[in-house]
Amino acid sequence: MTTFVTLIILGLLWGGVYLLAAEGLNLIYGVMKVVNLAHGDFIVFGGLLAFSLYGFIGINPLLSFPVTAIVLLAIGAVVQFGILERIGLDRGDAELRTLLATFGLSYVVANTSFLLWGSQFQSIPFLQGFVRAGPIAIPQALLVCSVLAFAVAILVHIWLNYTMLGKSVRAVAQSGLGAASCGLDIVRIRMLAFGIGSAMAGSAGALLISLIPFQTSSGGELTVQAFTLIALGGLGNYAGAFLAAELLGLVEVMVQYYLGTNAASAVIYIVFIGVLIFRPYGLLGRAVRV
Amino acid sequence: MPSHFVRLTAAAGVVAASLLTSGAWAQDKTPIKLGLAITQTGPYSPPALFELHGYELAVDQINKAGGLLGRQIEIVKYDDQGNPSTAVQLYQKLLTDDKVDLLLSPYQADLVAAVAPIVNRAQKVMPSLAANVEIYNGKYPYLMQSITQTGRYMEPVIDLAASKGYKTIALLVQNTQFPKQLGEGVVALAKQKGMEVVFNESYPPTTTDFSALVLKAGEKKPDVIIGATYLADAQGIVRAAKAQNVQAKMFAFSIGPVEPEFYRGLGSAAEQMFGTTLYFKSLKTKGNADFVAAYKAKYDVDPDYHAAVAYASMKIFGEVVSKVGSLDQKKIRDEFVKTDEPTVVGQYKLDKNGLQLGYESYALQWLKGQQELVWPKDQATADYVLPHSAWQ
Repeated sequence: MTTFVTLIILGLLWGGVYLLAAEGLNLIYGVMKVVNLAHGDFIVFGGLLAFSLYGFIGINPLLSFPVTAIVLLAIGAVVQFGILERIGLDRGDAELRTLLATFGLSYVVANTSFLLWGSQFQSIPFLQGFVRAGPIAIPQALLVCSVLAFAVAILVHIWLNYTMLGKSVRAVAQSGLGAASCGLDIVRIRMLAFGIGSAMAGSAGALLISLIPFQTSSGGELTVQAFTLIALGGLGNYAGAFLAAELLGLVEVMVQYYLGTNAASAVIYIVFIGVLIFRPYGLLGRAVRV
Repeated sequence: MPSHFVRLTAAAGVVAASLLTSGAWAQDKTPIKLGLAITQTGPYSPPALFELHGYELAVDQINKAGGLLGRQIEIVKYDDQGNPSTAVQLYQKLLTDDKVDLLLSPYQADLVAAVAPIVNRAQKVMPSLAANVEIYNGKYPYLMQSITQTGRYMEPVIDLAASKGYKTIALLVQNTQFPKQLGEGVVALAKQKGMEVVFNESYPPTTTDFSALVLKAGEKKPDVIIGATYLADAQGIVRAAKAQNVQAKMFAFSIGPVEPEFYRGLGSAAEQMFGTTLYFKSLKTKGNADFVAAYKAKYDVDPDYHAAVAYASMKIFGEVVSKVGSLDQKKIRDEFVKTDEPTVVGQYKLDKNGLQLGYESYALQWLKGQQELVWPKDQATADYVLPHSAWQ
């Protein structure tokens, strides 16, 4: 019984970790319909930046994640203004064009990281202990990552639905032309949205690197994981992503324990395919988006 | 006039012979071409560059001492970027365009395996730095294993555990070629020592969440937890063990603890972790102190095991060629498998197919932030600490 409860807790907490890694991608897709294939590389870049801040100045990820967020915010805004804005976001084939552009970007980011940090796996020794809850040991780092993931999810939800700026971001998502004709500066708003999505990737990286070692080529795997999660939840849907993350975390931990770790990755994709057969738009997705 | 004719013929013979020898003599002064392709750029390049530097240092020393067969050695090197198909093309080029006289091995088992067929078809001897044993079963008789066999990596760890009276092992194996063979080695060695493997499970290389796996391994209450791992998964297992308070008397990993990043990433959690290495700079092997000093002088960093095995393989190669006295590959091959020589890494000894029998492995432990060699005892730089202190 203790084991079972432990597994449930671990599964839910790992779900939070996966959510943290996927939130930025989800935001950018939700409001701009851009699948940022450099997302994972942004996470790795943020993580390695936090690694350097820890190594050289000695500040831990809980203090450095705002720094990595700001750096990635700037990078994201420059990418949006300098690249994506230039390749025709309002044209019919915009999704394909942005896919190609961000695919190329992923190489640029990964190789920049390689030049700065080399190819070895790096991580930060931080929050490695456990919190005792009766007979159960709850890993500290998992707990912190999960709580922050949920906090970010709630904050973004409030921002998008209850603030003027958030509402204008959604308006631009719905119709760039319509938003512009109402007097919104859509170039600035897209820069902000892409920047914030990138900042979320950067801060996720800073926290994740104390849990999962990163090397500069880890980005691709993270992008795929994050994309699977948001597709499962319904692209761009926040509650859906939350549900999907918890489902994936629980399935992974349970299958690992009862069927073996090799089975876990297979079962996750079987669940994924199953959901997409019966609910092609994801758990909470709708045929017509936002 | 038969005598005149004889004299004339003899004179012509002498002239011809002297022409021939002078021709041969002139040719002898051309450098011996030594070819290889190795990963000089990209994510797999750091260990490969240690190997390249090990080779180059050995070649430098041979050249300074008068060269090989009285000729200088010239290295022809290419960058395979860690890609097996590029490596194949480059070895093809080395053999057909550059027409190199001698070959050295690329870095990484899968690249060696990729070039093995063409190297063997060309009947060129290649001292190979691939630890997995399949390619040395007689199929490629021109490959000479110049690194410890994969199955023996954990030998000193099992030996130490058995000497402490530990009985049970939980084994966690990454589901890829090298760790799998290493895990099989652990099972075989444990059996020899009368230990029992009570848990044996593999996981995919992409695994980042080890919580359930480590929880399950811990439930068997093993004396020793062994990971057949690389760096990231070794760290993942240690993190999960500490964060979930999974205890054992001894934790040991194959690759992982040997890297400085292991301690940098885990901090105090890395304390008392055991790892293995094929070489340590403090080894009391023949010529090691000189090797370490020369390497440090040339590259401004201590040699790691990649540098040492590469250096030793080039040195042995030189000795074998000198002994044969020519570049006849068949003769070099036959002489190579007879080798039984001390090197900086250990005793270099092969079986008739070129499988490495002499090289061993050494157990190291992280103690107070330092890597110490702790087993076998006669090479130890510090006393081991066992059993593992409880997680705090």
